[in-house]
Amino acid sequence: MRRRVGWPMIVALLAAAFLLTAGIAIARYEDQLYSTQQIRDVTEQAQILAASVSAAVSFGDRAAAEEYVNALKVNPELRAAGVYDGSGKLFARFFRGSTLPAAMALSSTNWDALTSEGTLTVKVPVSAGGKTIGAVSVIATTEPAQRRLARYIGLILLVTMGALVIAVLGFSQAAISNRAEQLAQVNARLKQEMDERQKTEEALRQSHKMEAIGQLSGGIAHDFNNLIMIAKGSLGLLRKRLGPEILQPRAEQYLVSADEALDRAAALTRRILAFSRRQPLSAQAVHLGGVIADMNALIKHSVGEGVKIETVLAARWQTLCDVSQMENVILNLAINARDAMPDGGVLTIETRDVSLASAPPSVAEFVPGDYVALSVRDTGVGMSEEVLQRAFDPFFTTKPLGKGTGLGLSMTFGYVRQSNGYLAISSVPNKGTAITIYMPRIPESDT
Amino acid sequence: MRRALRSWLVGSAILLLGPLSSRAQDPLEYTVKAAYLTKFVPFINWPEQQLAAGAPITICIVGEDPFGLSLDKAAAAAGAGGRPLVIRRIATTDTAETQILARCQIAYAGDPLTSLDVIDALKGKPVVTVTDSGMRARGVISFVMQDNHVRFDIDDAAAEKSGIHFSSKLLELARAVNRRSENP
Repeated sequence: MRRRVGWPMIVALLAAAFLLTAGIAIARYEDQLYSTQQIRDVTEQAQILAASVSAAVSFGDRAAAEEYVNALKVNPELRAAGVYDGSGKLFARFFRGSTLPAAMALSSTNWDALTSEGTLTVKVPVSAGGKTIGAVSVIATTEPAQRRLARYIGLILLVTMGALVIAVLGFSQAAISNRAEQLAQVNARLKQEMDERQKTEEALRQSHKMEAIGQLSGGIAHDFNNLIMIAKGSLGLLRKRLGPEILQPRAEQYLVSADEALDRAAALTRRILAFSRRQPLSAQAVHLGGVIADMNALIKHSVGEGVKIETVLAARWQTLCDVSQMENVILNLAINARDAMPDGGVLTIETRDVSLASAPPSVAEFVPGDYVALSVRDTGVGMSEEVLQRAFDPFFTTKPLGKGTGLGLSMTFGYVRQSNGYLAISSVPNKGTAITIYMPRIPESDT
Repeated sequence: MRRALRSWLVGSAILLLGPLSSRAQDPLEYTVKAAYLTKFVPFINWPEQQLAAGAPITICIVGEDPFGLSLDKAAAAAGAGGRPLVIRRIATTDTAETQILARCQIAYAGDPLTSLDVIDALKGKPVVTVTDSGMRARGVISFVMQDNHVRFDIDDAAAEKSGIHFSSKLLELARAVNRRSENP
């Protein structure tokens, strides 16, 4: 796993670096302050000595000058102090560790403080009546670097400890937040996977249910169809055997009614067969746009005056389908849309080319690839969640009794699946419903 | 007698103070004393009404002058805090000359008689009277010889009456000081 350096880590490092820099800067500043302070102190002492010995130098009183010089001995920092007379000769002095030059050229002396190798030499002029009559030189010990360092060692230790603590805190903080982030990511992924799995299971269950219903109803419808064909055939034979002279007009009417009922039963079984994917299909390569354009008048007539129809035919790819079945499907969907918009609205029929890498919502057992999508959208009442769940169930209908068979959508579903296509449905109550059919694309060369 | 003492002192001074001066032709003791006369100046404060700011400091030699050119040389070398140093030589202590005398800042009298006159004439006036060593008459400053070195005594009490202030540095160098009263 990639090790990430989080922002708390960076902040901690920056803080530690700042603390260290600040500590060093403070120590340096203190050190500088100390040296300038020492120069000032020693210069002050030299100036006091120079002022004190002015009379002694003036009158050449060596004893008095020595008294003043020796008074400086109490300061342990001072290693030597000397008084020079007007001719630049050493006049009075004390030595302790350092030595003073025996003479000093007063006219060319630099009156600055001079620091070198642990000593600080300060020279100041002695004056009386506004004239330089001599000089004073004081040599002081400067603290060696180790001693000065030792004075700041406490501070340095403290600062280093502080920096370490901050760094460690930063490290642990970074680790914790890193870990928390990872956990959050894993958790989110897990949740997403669970959601996907639930959706897939739902879709699978739905498809299994449709499969089971289809098999059952298909089997029954098939047998039924055979029985209807026998009944129909028998009715035909009966009509032929009796002949028109025997069949009185009244009896003829019974035969016609029975025949019609058998036709309706045959139509019903056909639809059940369509849902159970057992109907014979005569598939051919077509442009869905052409199919829709051809049935424009039919759709218009079916949905009536109150609904505005918009068609967007953007698909360029071809698909393989049974045209008459497809017409049935489109008409079915259009009528459903009309029924969803009793107060009028907009019906949109749209085709477009799509390359699907993953399953559209509510579709299970999906094969990625190129599809021609046909959408039928309305701006009607929409469906509730429960209705949506059962929309493809055969004989499920929300229409009033006698208005719908409940086979429209299930038939569509069966037909589309039999054509290796997919059906996706989405609906928002009071906003409308969109049903999209994905039919597999077939290469142009097949036509 | 005084002459004999002086030549003896000069001899000793040459032996002992030889390195201090390079001018061998001057009598050493008086060269030192001449230097002292000028060097006193930075350490003495005269009352302001007697000495205007920037006015010259006048050193008067009353009667016999034992210094000669060495005093002028010392005056040229010494500093007086931005004031010029002027040397005046006064022959006697006549009434007319007492007026001049009162305008001096330092008045030196070398021989005993003149010394007494000068001290009398300047008593209570802000003039520092200086008397030579080996005399009974003693001015505010009196030279003394100690171990063949020129030293001086200071009568700070007399200075107080004249309104003159000596720097403590100078008082410290004096061999003896007649202290002024504790509560001035």
